[in-house]
Amino acid sequence: MKLLFIAFILSAPAFAQFEHDLSGNIEAQGRHSQNNEASREELFQDWNRDDFYLMYGNLNGKASYNNMRLESNWFARHSKSSLYEGGFLATQAYTFPNRLVVRDMFRMQHIKQEDDYKTESILNKLLLGVDFEESRFVFGRMYINYGLGEIFNPINPFNQPTGLTAISQVAQGNDGGSVTYFASDKHTVDLYVLGDKSINNYDGSIDRTIWVHGEVQATEDLNIDYVFGDDQKRYKGGGQVSYQFEEAMLFSQIFYQSHTTHDEISQNFWDALLGYDEQLTNKWHLRLETGYQKKNRFQNPLVFGDRFLPTEYFVALANQYEIHPLIEINGTIINDVKTGFTYFITKGIFSLGSNVEAEVFAFLPVAKGSDPENISQKLVTTDVGMALRAFF
Amino acid sequence: MLRKIFGKEFVFCVALGTGVNNPDEWMKYAEKEMRGDSSHAEMTMTIQTPNWTRTLEIESDVKGKKEALSTITSPAKEKGIRTLRLDNNMWNYFPKLKRKVAVSSSMLLASWMGSDFTNDDILKASSMNEDYDHKFAQDDKEFKVIENTAKNNSKVMWPKIVAYASKKDCLPRMYKYYDKENTLKRVLSFDNIKTFDGHIVPTLWIMKPEDDATKSTTIVYRSLKFNTNFKSSHFSQKNLTGN
Repeated sequence: MKLLFIAFILSAPAFAQFEHDLSGNIEAQGRHSQNNEASREELFQDWNRDDFYLMYGNLNGKASYNNMRLESNWFARHSKSSLYEGGFLATQAYTFPNRLVVRDMFRMQHIKQEDDYKTESILNKLLLGVDFEESRFVFGRMYINYGLGEIFNPINPFNQPTGLTAISQVAQGNDGGSVTYFASDKHTVDLYVLGDKSINNYDGSIDRTIWVHGEVQATEDLNIDYVFGDDQKRYKGGGQVSYQFEEAMLFSQIFYQSHTTHDEISQNFWDALLGYDEQLTNKWHLRLETGYQKKNRFQNPLVFGDRFLPTEYFVALANQYEIHPLIEINGTIINDVKTGFTYFITKGIFSLGSNVEAEVFAFLPVAKGSDPENISQKLVTTDVGMALRAFF
Repeated sequence: MLRKIFGKEFVFCVALGTGVNNPDEWMKYAEKEMRGDSSHAEMTMTIQTPNWTRTLEIESDVKGKKEALSTITSPAKEKGIRTLRLDNNMWNYFPKLKRKVAVSSSMLLASWMGSDFTNDDILKASSMNEDYDHKFAQDDKEFKVIENTAKNNSKVMWPKIVAYASKKDCLPRMYKYYDKENTLKRVLSFDNIKTFDGHIVPTLWIMKPEDDATKSTTIVYRSLKFNTNFKSSHFSQKNLTGN
């Protein structure tokens, strides 16, 4: 990583033209949780009520000189609860996404869990980018954001949607390099070459990811994304089509993952998503997502991994309403069509100043699922909480 | 005598030359000066209501009449919120939510970030010069009063806008916006004229809705550069989301 700094400094002989920016946020959060009966009795999550406290923050740095830029993000999180002492799984849900660096090669993180607390300090982004007229090169730890899904975004295997969590301002780092080629005004191609030392928790060897993401503006209203590649021992491919109507947007994703390319026992995956998004009025935003996420029969139930949704066939309706320019209410209801499991999330965000806001939130499993083998549905707890966040 | 030399009447607005008696030339001149072919602006917007005040710092890039990108740079809570216009399509991007929202044409008259300016204003979607017919209204001592009526085939938000242009520098000092019922809905006033890259531009804009005298939104231009060279990918959805 030091090479990134050195390369950047050497390429910038005139510091007078340096542009830089430092920003960030800090948030304190507390929640009171109640466990459900099935989790206690069937999954050994033997706790009834508990409190969970969390403090986290980001520090973002950006420096640029001509067509070069250096970007960084340092993420720190400290959480405290007696649930850690019992090793209960709910702590993973309350800190989701709990695995921040998804393709970890450069090992720029420190995580310590002891007694009733967990502390994480992660250099979550550190990249050197160089822009040319028709191309862009990036090397380091980067974010990879594309895809329109908020509840579910299967075409992007590099990030996990945080629409169902109380954590905001979190992105996930990926280590390696990327080349973006602006083929035309209407067509862009990204090639990612990433490495990961942490897949299946082995050290030493590096697991490869070679990934292509293309974006085509087919017509004024029609956009097409395509993805394919070799990632974490699976061949994957798919795409997204989005159509912009006069008043709304309709989008669809389909994504396939092969069996693992190694000899271990595995299964393939199919994911599909159909979404509708409309800004109904100036104050009311509506989103409907419905999809299918093939269940992983080999998933370790003790790990909240990339197939984290507690639903297989789902319908989700998300509303965001601005009651007042300083008060916003969000409500999302997600229903598993097959099992009947229904989950309701509501958040109220109150602006307390130009850079401070408070949030009250509730996560409520309102209907139990009928599938006795669906472990993740049983792990969902009932939570109410508050957060205070400041931006700088 | 002066009247004979300069045409129908004498005005000090020499910038228009022989076009001084043509209302089209007045509006064309104002748009050319204030909008240019391409520009990069840094501005401060203050939204004032009886109960709260919000100040936003904004960077605005405009190229031609079909491409525009505005970015909020302050306060930190709203930093990075972007609005893109490409041809007749518009999107907002909210980085906190990683959400891109299309702005439908029915939303063009909706408030931008709770201000008295609309999406249409911020993205300069309408061109006074191209979308309106112009005629002189009854003259004023200080101002040329120009009535701008929407052309039949244009898809503009305001059927009528009355412009009050200074006879000294030919630039507007006030726009009055009327709805379909010919009711005055809002007034935009301009002041504090400065020169940037050879363009004469009012740097203080105050928008006041007619139905609520307690509200107003002020824009102050801190800097303005014209004839900016933007990369071809600058006005793109990829750039909107920062990927």
